[in-house]
Order: sequence, then structure tokens, then C-alpha cells
Amino acid sequence: MTRLADDVRVRKESWGLLFYVRARHRVCFVRSGDWLYPRHFDGTWTLDGIVEDITRRTGTPAEIIERSLPGLTGHLAASRMISDEVR
Amino acid sequence: MKYADWPLSAPVNLTWEITHRCNLRCVHCLSASSRESPGELSFEECRAIVDQLAELEVFEINFGGGEPLLKDFFLPLLRYIHEKEIVTCVSTNGTALTDEAVACFAEGPLVNVQVSLDGATPEVNDRIRGEGTFHRIIRGIERLAGRNIPLSINTVVTSLNFTQLSELKGLAASYGARLRVSRFRPSGRARDSWETLRLKAAQLRELADWLSGDPTILTGDSFFSISQDGRRQLGLDMCGAGKMTACIDPVGGVYPCAFMQDGEFRGGSLKKTAFRDIWDNSPAFNFFRGLEPASCRQCPRFKKCRGGCPAVAYFVSRDLNRADPECLVNWSRDIAATSPVENRPYII
Repeated sequence: MTRLADDVRVRKESWGLLFYVRARHRVCFVRSGDWLYPRHFDGTWTLDGIVEDITRRTGTPAEIIERSLPGLTGHLAASRMISDEVR
Repeated sequence: MKYADWPLSAPVNLTWEITHRCNLRCVHCLSASSRESPGELSFEECRAIVDQLAELEVFEINFGGGEPLLKDFFLPLLRYIHEKEIVTCVSTNGTALTDEAVACFAEGPLVNVQVSLDGATPEVNDRIRGEGTFHRIIRGIERLAGRNIPLSINTVVTSLNFTQLSELKGLAASYGARLRVSRFRPSGRARDSWETLRLKAAQLRELADWLSGDPTILTGDSFFSISQDGRRQLGLDMCGAGKMTACIDPVGGVYPCAFMQDGEFRGGSLKKTAFRDIWDNSPAFNFFRGLEPASCRQCPRFKKCRGGCPAVAYFVSRDLNRADPECLVNWSRDIAATSPVENRPYII
């Protein structure tokens, strides 16, 4: 399960997701297009579930998403935007 | 394309000048605040605006003025904003704090407080903010310190306090606060004091060096064009007016930037038009999103800074096609023109 890190907010933009880190007053632009939505980080989604959701909505083959998504979520985790920790 | 060019559905943050009323008469006040303006927004009007901003998912509202704490409904409004989970930053002169205000800040996990102080000594600060203000401001900072309130001291850098920046940093640290420095810009009352208080080229160079060497100093806005690359990477690296930020004035006027409040830059009024409509459609906002000063286009740094702060350029030359007169290229050129050859090399 992946969720937003504490004190981080996110909103959907036409080009992807805009993350905001309250403690640092900083933003992070993620060009994810229509793949990702803020709800994917509410703590109820698995990576597999997100892949399935993107495939269903966009028609993108799962193998393409599976190649890209872990890198993207890994980057977000390394940037402390999202977390795998259970609250 | 820079990140800041990616179109946003709403600002990341906005400045809200909640009143023009102020108990001080600082010589550099960007809004020339003194008395409440006729037609300032009511509590109900402000709440309705907050509802719009919450729906648009604006992340942060920075309150200034005027002195926000002199607005009678300011604290209830602040609490209402926090209910909507919007982060706030309150810029105060520190002299109008009440017990209720301190308690409100201490209980609100979403508030940041910034106290303005323009010198490390009464002799310097009081020349800018008024006789006797240094000690009153320090008493205000003392009331806020140690209460787990995210606290910063903000100094507008001028030729008067330029040599006291390290002292100001130490003073801030002694209260558990960080020092934030702002650029002195010639809007509001600062138009009258611009020539005497602005930094000279050598001082701008020294400031850029000092900032480069100390990443703990906060620089909220528009330092990207006067600083070297290492510092620029710590924050926004181009003008965010109309792209990432906007300003609401006390009567509901919306502008791309707090420093650009001349009538021609007014995007609209929240008494008549929804914020989203102004953000999406107003000519003033669209103009700023496409602004690329003609005189900068041949500059080797143009891709990095896009011309710097339009507010400084505009108020100095009345021409938005001119470069920020204090940009790194300009101050480097001024120094090169007046220095011995061995002192000339500098980063551009």
C-alpha cells in the first residue's frame, strides 16, 4: 500500500500530479499525465491495483505501465512524497 | 520548458493582503499601508473566497497587509482556513500580538509566523520601521518563541541593514527562528526610498556570495535573478507571477503578484468574478505567463532567469521589456566596469 507522506498534499493537473511539501514549502511536479490520480495515494492501493486501474482507464498495456511505474513511485518515495509505512 | 511553465489549474500559494490598516509606517512598505481602505472585504466575503480556494486545492495562503492582526476577524478567518487544511503564513510586524493571537498560532498546526525586523539594532531597524519599533518587535518575537510555532524573522535587505545580516541570523537563531531575507523593491512607499536604500552592485555581489555560502537562509522570492546557480536551485528559479502565485488585495482585487498592484495588472475583482475565472482567463495573468523581456533575450542567462523580477524592472523603468536592474548579469557588469582587471572575473 502506498500513501502520501505526512505533511504532503497532492492535486491533479492536466500534465500529471503536483505534490506540495508543507514543511519545506516546496512543490514537486510529476509528469504522469492521466496515469496517476491523488486517490492512488490514499493508502488503499497496491502497485498492482494502480497498474490495473491505469490499464482499464487508458488502455495502456500493463507491461508498459509495469516498466515505468515502479521507477516513478520509487522516485516519489526517495523524495519523501509517498511512503509505504502504515500509519 | 521549465517546471514553472507547466500550466497550473490554480496557484500553489497566494498572497492575501487582508487589510491596508497598519500601526506602523515603514518606509519600504510595498502597499503603502496606513488606514483601512473603503470597501475592504467582509468576513463573509473572505469565507466565500476561502471556499473557492479550497475547492481549487490552493496549498498555501500567505497573509500580509497592512498588519493582518489589526483586521478584526483575522483569527476566526485563519481558523476557518485551517479547517479547510490550507497552510498559512502570517506576516506580522510583531507589535499587535494579543494573547488570543499567540494561542491561535500555537494551537494551529498549519500556521507559520513571520515577523518583520529590518535591523539587528534599534538604530538601523527604527530608521525603516519607525522610532521605538525595535524593542516592540523583539517583545513580540519573545512572545512567540518557544511555543512550537514555526517562526521566521523577515528582513528586507537594504543598504542600511546590509552589514547586519549575520547578526540578524544570530538574533533569529537565539529565538529558535530562521532568517528569511526579501528583496527591497520599489513599489508602494519604497518608490520614494528606492534610490537611497537600494543595494549597490558591490553589495549585491556580497549578498549573492553570502547567500551561496549559507543555504539555511530562507529567500522567499525573486532572488533567483540576483544569485548564483547554487542558490537558485534552492527555490523557485523564475518569476512565478500568474504561474504559481497570485495576490488578493484588501478589497478583493486579484493581481499576478503582490508587487504588481497597478491598475493595469489587475486581473479582476472577487466581488464580481470567481477566482478560477480570473486565474484562467484574465488578460493580465495571461500576459505575465508569456512575459519574456525583449532586452534579455540575447543574454546567456536568459534560459535560467527569464529576465528576473518584472516588478523591479517595471517600477524602475516603467518598461516590462527591460531586465531586472539588479540581476546577476547587471551587477557583474557594473562591477567589471569599475574594478581593476584582476578583480573582474565573475560567474555569468
